[in-house]
Amino acid sequence: MTHATQREAYPYFVLAVLLFGLQLIFGILTIAKYIWPDPLLYVLPFNQSRAIHINLLVFWLLLGFMGGTYYMIPEESETELFSPLIARIQFWLIAAAGVASIVSYLLGYSWGMPFLEQPTAFKAVIVVAALMFLYNVFRTVLKTGKWTAIQGVLLGGMVFLAVMFLFGIVFMKNLATQYFFWWWVIHLWVEGAWELIAGAILAFVLLKLTGIDRPIIEKWLYIEVGLVLFTGIVGTGHHYYWIGTPAYWYWWGGIFSALEPLPILFMVLDTMRHVREKKLVIKNRVALHWAVGGAWFHFVGAGVWGFGHTLPQINVWTHGTQITAAHGHMAFFGAYATLNLMMIYFTLPKLRGWEDYSQSRGIAAFWIMISGMLLMGLALTVSGIVQTYFNRIIGIDFLTTQEYMRLWFEVALASAALFAAGAYIFIYDFFKAGRAGART
Amino acid sequence: MTQASIRNIFIGGTVFFSLLFLYLSYDSLRQMPLRTNEATLTPQVVAGKHAWQKYNCNDCHTILGIGGYYAPDITKVATYRDADWLGRFLKDPEGVWAAKRRMPKLPMSDAEVGDLVAFMGWVSKIDTNDWPRKPMLAAGAPAVSSQAQGRVPGSEGPMLFARNGCQGCHKINGVGGAIGPDLTHVGSRLPDKQAQISHLRDPRSIHPQSSMPAFGKMSEHDLEELAEYLVSLK
Repeated sequence: MTHATQREAYPYFVLAVLLFGLQLIFGILTIAKYIWPDPLLYVLPFNQSRAIHINLLVFWLLLGFMGGTYYMIPEESETELFSPLIARIQFWLIAAAGVASIVSYLLGYSWGMPFLEQPTAFKAVIVVAALMFLYNVFRTVLKTGKWTAIQGVLLGGMVFLAVMFLFGIVFMKNLATQYFFWWWVIHLWVEGAWELIAGAILAFVLLKLTGIDRPIIEKWLYIEVGLVLFTGIVGTGHHYYWIGTPAYWYWWGGIFSALEPLPILFMVLDTMRHVREKKLVIKNRVALHWAVGGAWFHFVGAGVWGFGHTLPQINVWTHGTQITAAHGHMAFFGAYATLNLMMIYFTLPKLRGWEDYSQSRGIAAFWIMISGMLLMGLALTVSGIVQTYFNRIIGIDFLTTQEYMRLWFEVALASAALFAAGAYIFIYDFFKAGRAGART
Repeated sequence: MTQASIRNIFIGGTVFFSLLFLYLSYDSLRQMPLRTNEATLTPQVVAGKHAWQKYNCNDCHTILGIGGYYAPDITKVATYRDADWLGRFLKDPEGVWAAKRRMPKLPMSDAEVGDLVAFMGWVSKIDTNDWPRKPMLAAGAPAVSSQAQGRVPGSEGPMLFARNGCQGCHKINGVGGAIGPDLTHVGSRLPDKQAQISHLRDPRSIHPQSSMPAFGKMSEHDLEELAEYLVSLK
């Protein structure tokens, strides 16, 4: 830590970690509903538990990104944060909007579009908080005017993220049009804005961990995020095959999204090379694990699993099946959860001021989570193949097919439990690591 | 290449592909009113979309293939369930379609039920580029009937069986659901055609404990055809 106000990142990370833990409880409840008759049908029906599960995901990832940004910006700009007070107020606004949204789902209120279920009033609070965040960060950068590539890409991603959210607030009469713009939020977040943020954070951490020269790291950052946007923006078309949109999207969506794994592969190779050619001894081995493991999981979950069903010839059969769920879980974890875990572990010793501490628990949590998510992704994939074949190709009705998939839901539940075990070890480690008695 | 030139390629390329995407989006949005029959997007359909969002249907059901994967896709439901059935189902899901995976009875008003049914009817006519594709069983069923329509009694049976969703609950020759009894040999158990028709009209008149929905709204002709087919399953 080079600046005192970098500490403003800490509450963001604490809340992110807690919401991550809560997200898993709702995830496990949600998958259990696929396996057994639901005793909570009138208490917490599937739509509520799913809404909470996916909202907690988005909230904790965004909190992680914001915390990460607050940590990076003073160090990159070589100045203190413009206003620690705004950072704190903005934190409580986001936290309040998040908690209020979750409570409203529990009470049965929802805006009713997946991921964007937040009632409109709470969306307005989120927008206000996002504007405060951007204002605070831009004012900080303008203090010294050091527009490093890392800062530029990070802030570009943040502005992109905030602007796209606006397309998810308006009610549209036409469902097809609503979904057309819904993808401007969902797709252009995860395959656009968030990739910029993730790329910048990864570049920052690699720069600090490996000691590789900044120009090299920044050159590769531009190449990667450039290719991400060149393929990912028009790649939105892979969501426009079957929602009332013209058929020419088969070509635009198919070709561009088939290229989307390329920049991620670059990111993997680049990360590996930077680590191999490191100029410093990497002391923070847990952060290194998440950086390299995350790059690989990003490639597998987002790249390979996305590619697997992105072509229209395949997607016409798999669209809206558990194949998408498998891809969604592995991609969100691989691309964004791992990134935040990396950033949290990278900053933790600095925020808490440790020199040397035991890392074995953090590394154990890494391997358990990676294994659990991989197994869960595979189980959901097999369940999706069963569903595609029996329901979509043969034509056995939906619910009977679900019975055929049951074994794989059970495997997914067991893997989810394994993942959760790893995650709770991580959460324990987050609060305990380096504290008195735990040092080596 | 210098960092500055790479940055310029990054910015230039991003602008170029953004403009390309915006142009394609503009063109799609221009075509979509026709492809989605916006002329038939009545205030009732809009009210139905409000209800669809209000009850957060989309986090269990997919629509246009997007949403929760817990329950059947809604996009084309109105093409194989008529408004009467959909309305009855929405008011009392378990009473009409008893399944192991349950849908809660939602506190919907009659007006909301009507709005939702209108919404589903409108959605089912969106041109989705023929998604979802017709599966093999459904694609095969009408062919049987058109081949022999009106000549052999009962020849429309398999098509009616598929169209009314009977296989959702019942198996024939190993294909179909497990909620209701296997019908592979139903003709041996209940060989009387009139009894079959009575059962279809009101299952509880034959089996007082039956949870099967009544199919009394099928036409006389269709009931005859379906019953003929059922008694032929020996």
